[in-house]
Amino acid sequence: MAWREKQAWLALSVMVVAYGVYFALVAGERRSMLAMLLLFGGVAIAQAVVMIVGSIVLAVRAGKEAQARADERDRAIDRRSARIAYFVLLIGMIMVGVVMPFSEQGWRISNAALLALVVAEVVRYGVVVVSYRRGWNG
Amino acid sequence: MVEGKITNQLRTLRFLAGEMTQAELGERIGVTRQTIAAIEQGKYSPSLEAAFRIARVLGKSLEEVFQWTD
Repeated sequence: MAWREKQAWLALSVMVVAYGVYFALVAGERRSMLAMLLLFGGVAIAQAVVMIVGSIVLAVRAGKEAQARADERDRAIDRRSARIAYFVLLIGMIMVGVVMPFSEQGWRISNAALLALVVAEVVRYGVVVVSYRRGWNG
Repeated sequence: MVEGKITNQLRTLRFLAGEMTQAELGERIGVTRQTIAAIEQGKYSPSLEAAFRIARVLGKSLEEVFQWTD
Protein backbone atom coordinates (compact mmCIF):
# COMPACT_ATOMS: atom_id res chain seq x y z
CA MET A 1 0.00 0.00 0.00
CA ALA A 2 1.32 3.46 -0.94
CA TRP A 3 2.38 5.67 1.91
CA ARG A 4 -0.01 8.40 0.82
CA GLU A 5 -2.86 5.90 0.80
CA LYS A 6 -1.98 4.89 4.37
CA GLN A 7 -2.01 8.54 5.35
CA ALA A 8 -5.45 8.97 3.80
CA TRP A 9 -6.70 5.89 5.68
CA LEU A 10 -5.36 7.35 8.91
CA ALA A 11 -6.96 10.76 8.32
CA LEU A 12 -10.25 9.17 7.28
CA SER A 13 -10.38 6.87 10.32
CA VAL A 14 -9.45 9.59 12.78
CA MET A 15 -11.95 12.01 11.27
CA VAL A 16 -14.81 9.49 11.38
CA VAL A 17 -14.08 8.37 14.95
CA ALA A 18 -13.37 11.82 16.40
CA TYR A 19 -16.35 13.59 14.91
CA GLY A 20 -18.57 10.54 15.21
CA VAL A 21 -18.00 10.78 18.97
CA TYR A 22 -18.49 14.57 18.94
CA PHE A 23 -21.78 14.52 17.05
CA ALA A 24 -23.08 11.56 19.06
CA LEU A 25 -22.42 13.47 22.29
CA VAL A 26 -23.91 16.70 20.96
CA ALA A 27 -27.00 14.95 19.66
CA GLY A 28 -27.45 12.88 22.81
CA GLU A 29 -27.61 15.64 25.39
CA ARG A 30 -28.57 19.30 25.36
CA ARG A 31 -25.48 21.41 26.11
CA SER A 32 -24.63 25.09 26.33
CA MET A 33 -22.67 26.70 23.49
CA LEU A 34 -19.63 26.93 25.76
CA ALA A 35 -19.84 23.23 26.63
CA MET A 36 -20.07 22.36 22.93
CA LEU A 37 -17.14 24.64 22.17
CA LEU A 38 -15.03 22.95 24.84
CA LEU A 39 -16.07 19.53 23.56
CA PHE A 40 -15.16 20.55 20.03
CA GLY A 41 -11.80 21.89 21.27
CA GLY A 42 -11.08 18.61 23.00
CA VAL A 43 -12.00 16.56 19.95
CA ALA A 44 -9.95 18.79 17.64
CA ILE A 45 -6.88 18.57 19.90
CA ALA A 46 -7.26 14.77 20.23
CA GLN A 47 -7.60 14.51 16.46
CA ALA A 48 -4.48 16.62 15.91
CA VAL A 49 -2.43 14.58 18.40
CA VAL A 50 -3.48 11.24 16.90
CA MET A 51 -2.79 12.54 13.38
CA ILE A 52 0.67 13.83 14.31
CA VAL A 53 1.68 10.63 16.14
CA GLY A 54 0.14 8.43 13.44
CA SER A 55 1.84 10.36 10.64
CA ILE A 56 5.20 10.07 12.39
CA VAL A 57 4.75 6.31 12.85
CA LEU A 58 3.72 5.88 9.19
CA ALA A 59 6.61 8.05 7.97
CA VAL A 60 9.15 6.09 10.04
CA ARG A 61 7.77 2.78 8.77
CA ALA A 62 7.70 4.02 5.16
CA GLY A 63 11.32 5.20 5.35
CA LYS A 64 12.60 6.66 2.09
CA GLU A 65 9.16 6.56 0.46
CA ALA A 66 7.84 9.15 2.92
CA GLN A 67 10.42 11.66 1.72
CA ALA A 68 9.48 11.32 -1.95
CA ARG A 69 7.58 14.19 -3.51
CA ALA A 70 4.06 13.60 -4.76
CA ASP A 71 4.18 12.30 -8.32
CA GLU A 72 1.67 12.93 -11.11
CA ARG A 73 -0.68 10.17 -9.94
CA ASP A 74 -0.68 11.48 -6.38
CA ARG A 75 -1.41 14.99 -7.64
CA ALA A 76 -4.19 13.76 -9.96
CA ILE A 77 -5.85 11.89 -7.11
CA ASP A 78 -5.49 14.91 -4.86
CA ARG A 79 -7.11 17.19 -7.43
CA ARG A 80 -9.96 14.76 -7.99
CA SER A 81 -10.70 14.37 -4.29
CA ALA A 82 -10.54 18.12 -3.64
CA ARG A 83 -12.88 18.85 -6.55
CA ILE A 84 -15.51 16.36 -5.39
CA ALA A 85 -15.22 17.47 -1.75
CA TYR A 86 -15.60 21.09 -2.82
CA PHE A 87 -19.09 20.42 -4.15
CA VAL A 88 -20.05 18.58 -0.96
CA LEU A 89 -18.84 21.56 1.08
CA LEU A 90 -20.61 23.99 -1.24
CA ILE A 91 -23.95 22.23 -0.77
CA GLY A 92 -23.38 22.08 2.98
CA MET A 93 -22.55 25.77 3.18
CA ILE A 94 -25.61 26.72 1.14
CA MET A 95 -27.75 24.78 3.61
CA VAL A 96 -26.02 26.34 6.58
CA GLY A 97 -25.78 29.90 5.33
CA VAL A 98 -28.92 30.28 3.26
CA VAL A 99 -31.53 27.75 4.36
CA MET A 100 -30.97 27.11 8.07
CA PRO A 101 -30.97 30.73 9.36
CA PHE A 102 -34.72 30.91 8.57
CA SER A 103 -35.62 28.00 10.81
CA GLU A 104 -32.85 26.90 13.13
CA GLN A 105 -31.13 28.08 16.30
CA GLY A 106 -27.49 29.21 16.45
CA TRP A 107 -26.06 26.03 17.97
CA ARG A 108 -27.68 23.90 15.27
CA ILE A 109 -26.32 26.17 12.56
CA SER A 110 -22.78 26.13 13.91
CA ASN A 111 -22.86 22.34 14.31
CA ALA A 112 -24.31 21.96 10.82
CA ALA A 113 -21.41 24.05 9.47
CA LEU A 114 -18.98 21.78 11.30
CA LEU A 115 -20.81 18.72 9.97
CA ALA A 116 -20.52 20.07 6.41
CA LEU A 117 -16.77 20.49 6.87
CA VAL A 118 -16.40 17.01 8.34
CA VAL A 119 -18.47 15.37 5.60
CA ALA A 120 -16.47 17.19 2.91
CA GLU A 121 -13.21 16.00 4.49
CA VAL A 122 -14.51 12.45 4.83
CA VAL A 123 -15.51 12.51 1.16
CA ARG A 124 -12.09 13.89 0.21
CA TYR A 125 -10.16 11.18 2.05
CA GLY A 126 -12.65 8.56 0.89
CA VAL A 127 -12.09 9.51 -2.74
CA VAL A 128 -8.32 9.39 -2.17
CA VAL A 129 -8.53 5.89 -0.70
CA VAL A 130 -10.86 4.60 -3.42
CA SER A 131 -8.70 6.15 -6.15
CA TYR A 132 -5.57 4.45 -4.84
CA ARG A 133 -7.39 1.14 -4.30
CA ARG A 134 -9.44 0.87 -7.47
CA GLY A 135 -7.40 3.01 -9.82
CA TRP A 136 -7.55 6.40 -11.38
CA ASN A 137 -7.74 6.81 -15.13
CA GLY A 138 -9.13 10.32 -15.37
CA MET B 1 -16.84 9.00 -27.81
CA VAL B 2 -14.45 6.35 -29.04
CA GLU B 3 -14.60 3.35 -26.70
CA GLY B 4 -11.49 1.53 -25.60
CA LYS B 5 -8.72 1.45 -23.04
CA ILE B 6 -5.01 1.80 -22.78
CA THR B 7 -3.03 -1.38 -22.28
CA ASN B 8 0.71 -1.75 -21.95
CA GLN B 9 3.63 -4.14 -22.16
CA LEU B 10 5.49 -2.60 -19.29
CA ARG B 11 6.05 -5.74 -17.30
CA THR B 12 7.47 -7.66 -20.23
CA LEU B 13 9.61 -4.77 -21.37
CA ARG B 14 11.00 -4.25 -17.87
CA PHE B 15 11.96 -7.89 -17.80
CA LEU B 16 13.65 -7.61 -21.18
CA ALA B 17 15.48 -4.48 -20.04
CA GLY B 18 17.68 -6.44 -17.65
CA GLU B 19 14.88 -7.25 -15.21
CA MET B 20 14.54 -3.63 -14.27
CA THR B 21 12.56 -3.22 -11.07
CA GLN B 22 9.46 -1.04 -10.72
CA ALA B 23 11.33 1.12 -8.24
CA GLU B 24 14.24 1.64 -10.65
CA LEU B 25 11.96 2.54 -13.54
CA GLY B 26 9.96 4.84 -11.30
CA GLU B 27 13.07 6.59 -10.09
CA ARG B 28 14.28 7.17 -13.64
CA ILE B 29 11.05 8.76 -14.80
CA GLY B 30 10.18 10.57 -11.58
CA VAL B 31 7.25 8.59 -10.20
CA THR B 32 6.87 6.20 -7.27
CA ARG B 33 7.11 2.40 -7.45
CA GLN B 34 3.40 2.24 -6.66
CA THR B 35 2.59 4.39 -9.68
CA ILE B 36 4.55 2.06 -11.96
CA ALA B 37 2.65 -0.86 -10.40
CA ALA B 38 -0.65 0.96 -10.98
CA ILE B 39 0.26 1.62 -14.64
CA GLU B 40 1.15 -2.05 -15.16
CA GLN B 41 -2.16 -3.15 -13.66
CA GLY B 42 -4.10 -0.70 -15.82
CA LYS B 43 -5.21 1.25 -12.75
CA TYR B 44 -3.61 4.46 -13.90
CA SER B 45 -3.06 5.98 -17.33
CA PRO B 46 0.14 8.01 -17.23
CA SER B 47 0.45 11.49 -18.67
CA LEU B 48 1.80 11.74 -22.19
CA GLU B 49 5.07 13.05 -20.82
CA ALA B 50 5.47 10.15 -18.39
CA ALA B 51 4.56 7.70 -21.17
CA PHE B 52 7.29 9.14 -23.39
CA ARG B 53 9.77 8.99 -20.53
CA ILE B 54 8.95 5.33 -19.89
CA ALA B 55 9.34 4.48 -23.57
CA ARG B 56 12.64 6.31 -23.74
CA VAL B 57 14.04 4.61 -20.63
CA LEU B 58 13.04 1.21 -22.05
CA GLY B 59 14.47 2.10 -25.48
CA LYS B 60 11.16 1.54 -27.26
CA SER B 61 8.67 3.60 -29.20
CA LEU B 62 5.57 4.81 -27.43
CA GLU B 63 3.34 2.34 -29.28
CA GLU B 64 5.58 -0.58 -28.40
CA VAL B 65 4.94 0.17 -24.75
CA PHE B 66 1.35 1.44 -24.79
CA GLN B 67 -1.51 0.31 -26.99
CA TRP B 68 -5.08 1.41 -27.49
CA THR B 69 -7.38 -1.61 -27.24
CA ASP B 70 -10.96 -1.44 -28.53
